[in-house]
Amino acid sequence: MEIPYIVTPRKDTGLINSKIAIWLFLASEVMLFGGFFSAYVYLRMGADYPWPERTLPVLPGLINTFVLIGSSVTVVFAWVALKMREWRKFQIYMGITVACAALFMVLKGVEYNVKLHHQAVRLDDYSVIEGHLGYELKEGADKHHPNPDDYEKNHNGHKIEENMIRVKSEKLTFSVNRFYKSWVEEILSEAKHQNVTYILEEDVEAFTKPASSKSEKRQPKILAKKGTELSVELLQSLKKEYLKARAHNGVIRTEALRSEWVIAKKENPGKRGWEVATGVNIDMDAIGHELLTEVASATFVAEGGAELLFKPRNIQEGETSSRLRDDTVITGKLEESPMVFHNVDAIDFQWLVMKAEEKGISPESAIENSWLMKSNKFVRDAWAWHLKRNESRQKELNDRYGFEEGKNGKETDIPKRVLTHKELYRMGWKDFAKMGEETKNVSVGGVDAFKEEFLGPNYKARGEETFPHLSIPREEIRHAAKFSPAWNTYYAIYFTITGLHGLHVIGGALVLAYYLLFGRKMYLENPEWLTNRVEVGGLFWHFVDLIWIFAFPILYLM
Amino acid sequence: MADSIEALQKSKKTYLAVFGALLVGTVLTVVVASPPEFLYWLDVGEHGFDKWDAIIGLLIASTKATLVAVIFMHLNHEKKAIYWIFGAGLIFVTWMALLLALAYRDPIHDYLFYK
Repeated sequence: MEIPYIVTPRKDTGLINSKIAIWLFLASEVMLFGGFFSAYVYLRMGADYPWPERTLPVLPGLINTFVLIGSSVTVVFAWVALKMREWRKFQIYMGITVACAALFMVLKGVEYNVKLHHQAVRLDDYSVIEGHLGYELKEGADKHHPNPDDYEKNHNGHKIEENMIRVKSEKLTFSVNRFYKSWVEEILSEAKHQNVTYILEEDVEAFTKPASSKSEKRQPKILAKKGTELSVELLQSLKKEYLKARAHNGVIRTEALRSEWVIAKKENPGKRGWEVATGVNIDMDAIGHELLTEVASATFVAEGGAELLFKPRNIQEGETSSRLRDDTVITGKLEESPMVFHNVDAIDFQWLVMKAEEKGISPESAIENSWLMKSNKFVRDAWAWHLKRNESRQKELNDRYGFEEGKNGKETDIPKRVLTHKELYRMGWKDFAKMGEETKNVSVGGVDAFKEEFLGPNYKARGEETFPHLSIPREEIRHAAKFSPAWNTYYAIYFTITGLHGLHVIGGALVLAYYLLFGRKMYLENPEWLTNRVEVGGLFWHFVDLIWIFAFPILYLM
Repeated sequence: MADSIEALQKSKKTYLAVFGALLVGTVLTVVVASPPEFLYWLDVGEHGFDKWDAIIGLLIASTKATLVAVIFMHLNHEKKAIYWIFGAGLIFVTWMALLLALAYRDPIHDYLFYK
């Protein structure tokens, strides 16, 4: 089929059709991204927590901006080259453009990866700790320089992150309808690893056939015998029986209820449904013999029980009884399950101070009384250092900007400029690093320092003197997450905007790469056609650049 | 549209100039947002982030965006239909943001409501 007006412009619009099309698309894209940017504005205005200002490392974002601006120039140069019928130059410029897109995505991937492996936790008193969780080590292993085989391994042979809930599970009650197959498999495999077998606590009996009359005595069928080993197949067969019984009973109950309604309507002519509804009940005695037994759960026990590990998000833990997200109830003692940071790289009291001020408590005493300050010497020392540093930072501001003038023209003791909340109440990794350099003489330089700007703190080089070990009891934790959308609304909108933008980069790059790799034939047949295509692809590419021009300052610098 | 060879050669120079301007603008946003010690006077408004930082940052970003739209995307010499299409998009996005602002001012957000 001949596509009209792709080389010669239409008379009425004066434009080729593809250009109209791309601009229509771009207009819809403006509205799409506009929606997310206003979402950002309102999330920030309505945030009930200290917004993480200027929290991302600027360098990767800055480099990515350069990369994208550069590619915007090369794509327009590629178009000019085609216009002047210089194929070789087109190839070079377009090649650079696509390479830039790839570089952008790689840097973005590095950035995402760093975030998704960085742990944050909010304690009960609203202080926040950030850092890296470690993996469990065998006893006696070198904590600072562990070998690969120094790690504790689970049944899969995987390392165990020190953020698991441990339950000595003596009894497992599965919901036969809702159990999650791979979790059961996981439990089975771990139990086998510990030489523990879960067996059925009691016979599972059920009426599986309706009786023909009320007087007939039914014999329950044994669906599973006491002592049968736990297996997915067993649960699945119980589920089948359960669903069968439920469907069967549903039909009978509905039928019974319907006939009750017919009788009720006849007995109460002219009355409205809601007036008679309380008197309409199924006569269970009459239909009882027809119903089957719905066995909804099955309980398995093990002598002593296995020590099972669960991710915090999958379990609602309790002292003696816990519940998994698939409604499995675990009876057994909750063991100590602390969250262990192998390296803490930030302590943040901003939220705690915000909460304290709401209650009229002074920030100093709130911090003084926080769990962190009370329980950890390193934090106390670090905070003392931090306070001293803040004093000198404030003095610098005073020297530079002076004090407010009072009514009588005299200087008051109110400084014109004060430290920000973030400076006052948060110690980030750079503060930790500075403290390490000043008090413990631990420093890094050269390539390592540059890498830190990109990937965050270098724990190996700076060591535990700078980024300490910290174990947090489970009951102190209010909320914990990686730096993912689950942590707060800032990260949610950050991932939404940059993720959507990333998808646009990938899509645009694919189209441009297609012109580069497969455009030769079209170029030889009808060069103006390819030129127009490249212009249209270029328009989209500039738009992607345009979005980033706003996303960078808003997400990284504000 | 610039179609002659000379016009294209000339526009190449413009593109390079815009490229330079965009780079400068980018560096400027970063420097203004967190000025280094010797440029401390760039820290306008209060110490740290405040509305002035937001305004200046967005102004620079808007300037850069305008440069890209006008020069790279050829909006400086485009046909009427394009202006209508893109203009409509911008109007709708502004309208949407305003609607959100109205919702934000909704009396139900009055803090006394929850007391």
